Amino acid sequence: MDILVIHLFNALLYTSVLFLIAGGLSLIYGVMRIVNLAHGNLFALGAFVTASAVGQWFAGSTSAALYLLIPTGAFAAAAVGAALEPTLLRPFYRRPEEYQLLVTFGILMILEDVMRFIWGPYPLTATTLFEQMGSIKVGEFIYPRYNLLVITIGALAAVFLWAFIYKTRFGVVLRATSQDMRRASALGVNVNLVYIQAFTIGCFMAGLGGAIIVPGQSAVLGMGVDALVLSFIVVVIGGLGSLDGAMVGALIVGLLREFAISTFPELELAVLYLIAAIVLLVRPAGLFGRTT
Amino acid sequence: MAGVGMASMAHAQEKAKGTIPDKPFKIGHMTFFTGAGAVLGEPMYKGNVLAADEINAQGGLLGKRKIEILKADEAAGTDANTKEMRRLKLSEKIDMFMGITSSGNTPALGPVAEELKLLTIFVDGCTDFLFDKAVPNPRYIFRITNIQSADGSTCALGVAMTWPDVTKVAHIHPDYSYGRNCFDHFSIVTKKMLPHAQNVSEAWPKLFSTDFTPHITKTLAAKPDLLVTSLWGGDYVAFYKQALQHGLFSKMKVATTLALGAAPHSIGKDHPEGVLSGVHANYHFSYPAGNRWPLNKTFVEKYKAKFNEYPNFQAEGAYTATHALRTAVEKANKLMGGWPDDDAIISQLEGMMIPGPGGYVYIRPDNHQGYKDAITGFSKNVPDYPFPILDPTRIITIPIRNITAPPGWPKGEPTSTYTWIDQTWPTVKTA
Amino acid sequence: MSTIALIAPALRRSPVRIAVWAVPIAVILAVVPWVMDSYRTIQLAYGLIFAIAGLGFNILLGYTGLLSFGHAAYFGAGAYTVAFMVKYLHVQSMELFLLGTIAATLLVTALFGYVCVRYTRIFFSILTLALSQVLWSLAFKFFWVTGGTDGLRVPTPKLLGAAFAESEDKIHFLSHAYYYYVLVVFVVAVGVMWLIVHSPFGKALQAIRDNETRARFVGIRIRRYRFVAFLLSGVFTGIAGALWVPLNGLVTPDALVWTFSGEIVFMSVLGGFRNFTGPIVGAVVYNYLKDFAVGFTVYWQTFMGVVLVVLVLTLPTGIVGTAKLLLATARRRRSQ
Repeated sequence: MDILVIHLFNALLYTSVLFLIAGGLSLIYGVMRIVNLAHGNLFALGAFVTASAVGQWFAGSTSAALYLLIPTGAFAAAAVGAALEPTLLRPFYRRPEEYQLLVTFGILMILEDVMRFIWGPYPLTATTLFEQMGSIKVGEFIYPRYNLLVITIGALAAVFLWAFIYKTRFGVVLRATSQDMRRASALGVNVNLVYIQAFTIGCFMAGLGGAIIVPGQSAVLGMGVDALVLSFIVVVIGGLGSLDGAMVGALIVGLLREFAISTFPELELAVLYLIAAIVLLVRPAGLFGRTT
Repeated sequence: MAGVGMASMAHAQEKAKGTIPDKPFKIGHMTFFTGAGAVLGEPMYKGNVLAADEINAQGGLLGKRKIEILKADEAAGTDANTKEMRRLKLSEKIDMFMGITSSGNTPALGPVAEELKLLTIFVDGCTDFLFDKAVPNPRYIFRITNIQSADGSTCALGVAMTWPDVTKVAHIHPDYSYGRNCFDHFSIVTKKMLPHAQNVSEAWPKLFSTDFTPHITKTLAAKPDLLVTSLWGGDYVAFYKQALQHGLFSKMKVATTLALGAAPHSIGKDHPEGVLSGVHANYHFSYPAGNRWPLNKTFVEKYKAKFNEYPNFQAEGAYTATHALRTAVEKANKLMGGWPDDDAIISQLEGMMIPGPGGYVYIRPDNHQGYKDAITGFSKNVPDYPFPILDPTRIITIPIRNITAPPGWPKGEPTSTYTWIDQTWPTVKTA
Repeated sequence: MSTIALIAPALRRSPVRIAVWAVPIAVILAVVPWVMDSYRTIQLAYGLIFAIAGLGFNILLGYTGLLSFGHAAYFGAGAYTVAFMVKYLHVQSMELFLLGTIAATLLVTALFGYVCVRYTRIFFSILTLALSQVLWSLAFKFFWVTGGTDGLRVPTPKLLGAAFAESEDKIHFLSHAYYYYVLVVFVVAVGVMWLIVHSPFGKALQAIRDNETRARFVGIRIRRYRFVAFLLSGVFTGIAGALWVPLNGLVTPDALVWTFSGEIVFMSVLGGFRNFTGPIVGAVVYNYLKDFAVGFTVYWQTFMGVVLVVLVLTLPTGIVGTAKLLLATARRRRSQ
């Protein structure tokens, strides 16, 4: 019985991070109709920056300081996003969608190498906080407390985001722009500003995913591309452009992965692609998405 | 330092015979400089560079030809790598090719090197598939580090020697050919040595994952006596840190094939002691220590001085390979004078037994594979280093001829060594 | 859609006009092995092979307006078909390989296409990407069939029944006999594709691309046309994959990965996807560009990324498109 609880925690851990990444991707698409292929790299950037901050630059600080440093990765990712949007993405809004995919594909390639250039080839860890928080007992097993922190942050992020989108004025503007950009503009919305804000928030989310998970794992080159593929699977299942879809999709992926690993270990690699394929065959827009 | 000679592989050369051109000797070195494989690839290149520097300090090969190394990134993909090898040979006119980390690339590049008639010493890419199937009768290609099957076998023998009472075994291996190879060979050796051991859990995480909590949970749920894992590099680091917080190490013995081999400095002192820590059956810089094997002492000191880190098995392999080349060239020159052609160098490499930092390496003439005695050991924290090393009081050495298929053994599935163990090893009878 | 509108483009492209630039190029390509060294000839062989893949890809993008981000699936399917035919059927003939590839890729493309053509734009792209990843994961997992990450070896095939002796120089074989074989298939592919895009079928595709609603009103069965375009596209790319395998001698799941699909897109955009010859030029140039980048620096990915970004920002019509623009401007200036 306890083992099921632990399995659930593991699934929720994965879900939390996936939600942050996929949610960011979906948000950006929902508002701007851009699929950012470099999105996974922002997750990786968040991980690397936080790992450096917590594990190297300020390594000797007090725990409280280290906790405060965790979100640095998220802010770094947001900064990069804020820099990228007006320079490399804005020229493409009036162009066919193909070009957006291509330019973000190019950015993906560049960012991969930039991270290699800055952080070198070795994996980066920053496990001080992970170890410090210790573990709690779950029946006869123990479970790292830090993972529970990540799950909590993921849940809080979901709630906060939901409130932000549906309960604030800014959220109204965001939703209006996503539904009908021209009409929103005609009504006086500064669409350029909304776009850059949405993009920055999306990148922040991805960076946050990387930042909070890295103390318990590690930052390795190539993690961005892996994350992108996974977040694609999530939005395929949940529906592109829908935050609810990102949540549900992340949950399904997290649970399915956990289930596959514990029961059909050989399927681990394939099961997520298979479920994506099945959803695509049955409901290509995803559970919460629209094909328009 | 009177009376204590600095033993080094770059000993002073005798004067070369005949006329030697002073054209530089170009080596094309291809390994992972970017991507997740760079943790293994960079040290390989550094080993090559260190050896080249030593040789060039004496004027170069045969005192006249300085070594120039051209770099290429293996992460470009198998297709691009094939083209790049061709470009290096046909356009850059390299004299020799060295490197390769990934076992996906040696079977692709081996035949191409043969087509190009390009003298090649692969440092890694250790898959048995290369000389079992891809190039069963190599002429121009060689490989210096131990064949992949040695990993799983060494680990299994280490377990059999140390923990013969295990009955329930769990596995976590990365889902690609190396992980499968380790699993297969660990299993076949265990079948013979510990016939009562049973697999109770398997997990196959994707290579370069960072989250191992589900696999750890699964393993814990199965309540095994022993966990066997071939995770390496960043995977292993993430794994052991997570496993510590799940209390895995206190609940079972752990045996690994490559934990301490990839990047010795990346494992922290929080790593539990007494874990059977594989080094790809090849080399750990801490063994042999001190003056016990002066070649290693000098190698480690020079490597540390030049690169500010400790060498891994890839670095040792590339270093030894470069010196093997030098030795072959010198011997051929002594016999025939002038600069030896590829055939002469090949004839000297075949059957060469050369002492390297990691031990004696024997290059078998029939399959051009390098063999050195396999080692593994147990993790231990010592004050001299900020990371764990192999416990110097508990090193396990296994003669390589005891765990790899001999010359003349027919090629088999999944590997020749597997069928050889399966068909020729006796099964241990428990009392 | 009057008759004049249908004939006029064909008249403009009379056989003489085509021959003016097509024949010299064909001649140049034919003498390459005697003029350039073997390495560059083999490079060009790769370029021609990817040009075939690009032609196939572009019938979807340039002519039907569908961006597929999963074309590696068909390329890899072609490559693996050859490997399977070697492994299980012990076939050695290149002609049989090509036939087998056409059959196999028809199957895969039909399956994927049936799903994908129901959607357009971004959903189409994502669908193609996801499905190609499914194929990739299957190739990865079923390692006892596909060799997993070790891959499957493909020995030198028999061209037109002539076997390659072990004693022969493989480099010479690749840069001469095999190069000519590829060249012939390339010319045939170009010819077939030319006929396709200038046929009423091709015109219908462009109509669908330009205005789907209007095309439907004219009576064109959108989904059916898209499906056939998808089939053609996949088969061409599969043939490229089959030709590619003997050059490397090995096929691994790398041939199916989505970033490889991205490269195919890159090639077409580089050359200009609004032109017939765009993907051809793009594939050849991309090939040289990447080889140069990989040989030049370990940060070749940055190099290619920057090229892509700059390309899309400044030269969206690609090399051929920009060249045509420049030519038209020069002609206009001359006539003024």
